[in-house]
Amino acid sequence: MVTEEKKQDILKRLRDAVVNYDEDAARQAAKEAVESGMDASDAIFSGLVSGMEEVGRLFEAQEYFVPELLMCADALYAGLDILKPHVKRLDLGVKGSVVIGTVEGDVHDIGKNIVKMMFDVAGFTVYDLGRDVPLDKFIEEQLRTDSDLVCLSAMMTTTMVGMKKVIDDLKARNPNVKIMIGGAPVSQDIAEKWGADGYAKDASNALKDAINMVSSLKKLKEEADAKRAAK
Amino acid sequence: MLKGLLNEAIMKELMTTGATVVGFADVGEVLGPEIAHLRKAISIGVNKNLNDDTVKLLLALQKKAARCLRRDGHRYLCIPPDSDRIRGTFISRLYPLFTHKIAATSAGLGWIGRNGLLISPEYGPRLSLATVLTDAPLSTGSPIKFSLCGECKLCVEYCPSSAITGKDWSRDAPYVELVRTDHCSSYKKNTRAVNRKPNCGVCINICPYGRKGSMSGVLSLTA
Repeated sequence: MVTEEKKQDILKRLRDAVVNYDEDAARQAAKEAVESGMDASDAIFSGLVSGMEEVGRLFEAQEYFVPELLMCADALYAGLDILKPHVKRLDLGVKGSVVIGTVEGDVHDIGKNIVKMMFDVAGFTVYDLGRDVPLDKFIEEQLRTDSDLVCLSAMMTTTMVGMKKVIDDLKARNPNVKIMIGGAPVSQDIAEKWGADGYAKDASNALKDAINMVSSLKKLKEEADAKRAAK
Repeated sequence: MLKGLLNEAIMKELMTTGATVVGFADVGEVLGPEIAHLRKAISIGVNKNLNDDTVKLLLALQKKAARCLRRDGHRYLCIPPDSDRIRGTFISRLYPLFTHKIAATSAGLGWIGRNGLLISPEYGPRLSLATVLTDAPLSTGSPIKFSLCGECKLCVEYCPSSAITGKDWSRDAPYVELVRTDHCSSYKKNTRAVNRKPNCGVCINICPYGRKGSMSGVLSLTA
């Protein structure tokens, strides 16, 4: 069994690797986490995600800018790729599969990728359609995968209007599906008017929202752990 | 670390581990808003035929420079060689915001020749490039602002697809078309289909600068 000291050391290194955008260090620490036999989801949430929370703080304080943010996300993924296969299914009451993509005519997908990261971390199955995705493809993919959530992203006002069509079609075929939209031209107002269930403004806000959502997942996990321990 | 010392440390580290040339540039004026806080550039050139090993060497050199900067507590962004850009990472979306040639000419390593490539007085168009952007207070070289190709038009004459327009590069007119890239790439596509040779490279081989046993060193550069 891994000692508490060793565990804290690995968690700190995972965290620092993300904050210092050091992919190699993230990989190394993740490997050691797996070898030491510590809980992989612990390593993700208390290590990698905790680092990303610090990155979010640095970004808001304008210590970090977009390039650092993106490199930190890459470092997080470097560790996540190694840890993920070792995660025992988390039972948090959220069943997860999500279809995500940037709508037809739009190739701006930095925000979309960051939102995708959140779902990856949280253990969702992600069907990433990429960018410049034909509108019908979202509906096809949702039906094919029976996903609970569809996320649409657009950065331009000209491509944004495509999202309304997707929302209407999806809701007509499957009223239960949840839809999130995001991107610079989108507003809370538009999201409500078009019948979307959620909204994220841009890459930086997406990150904040992503961190908030992952943090609340983390809390859920801690509560579940505490309950299990109490039993 | 004192200004200048960091330059020296990085220079020494890179030159002893495989770099052919290293230059430092102030590129603050030409950066997009996303990377505007990383005003200084370290331009790294390797004099080798471009293959997988060259790319690996450049990436290793970048990492070394990055490590020096990190140790001193500075931000940095590695722009990998152009041939290593097909990666689905987050940061790869920002690479197109910056070209290696800007860093290299700003650092005074060379100018842009008629063939659209960086020409170093010593090595000609035979350098493969990588760049590290940083906010470290490096001291920087003086930029080369005009083409030193003179009357030479060898690459214009020998280009098999007549892609080279023959115009002169200058730092103040960055949008002058030097090479008709559509001509060049359609020619390369054709020859690849016919004789399976992946690339053309005539404009590199013909350039008298840095060509072995010829004019190299004849013209000395006054910086």
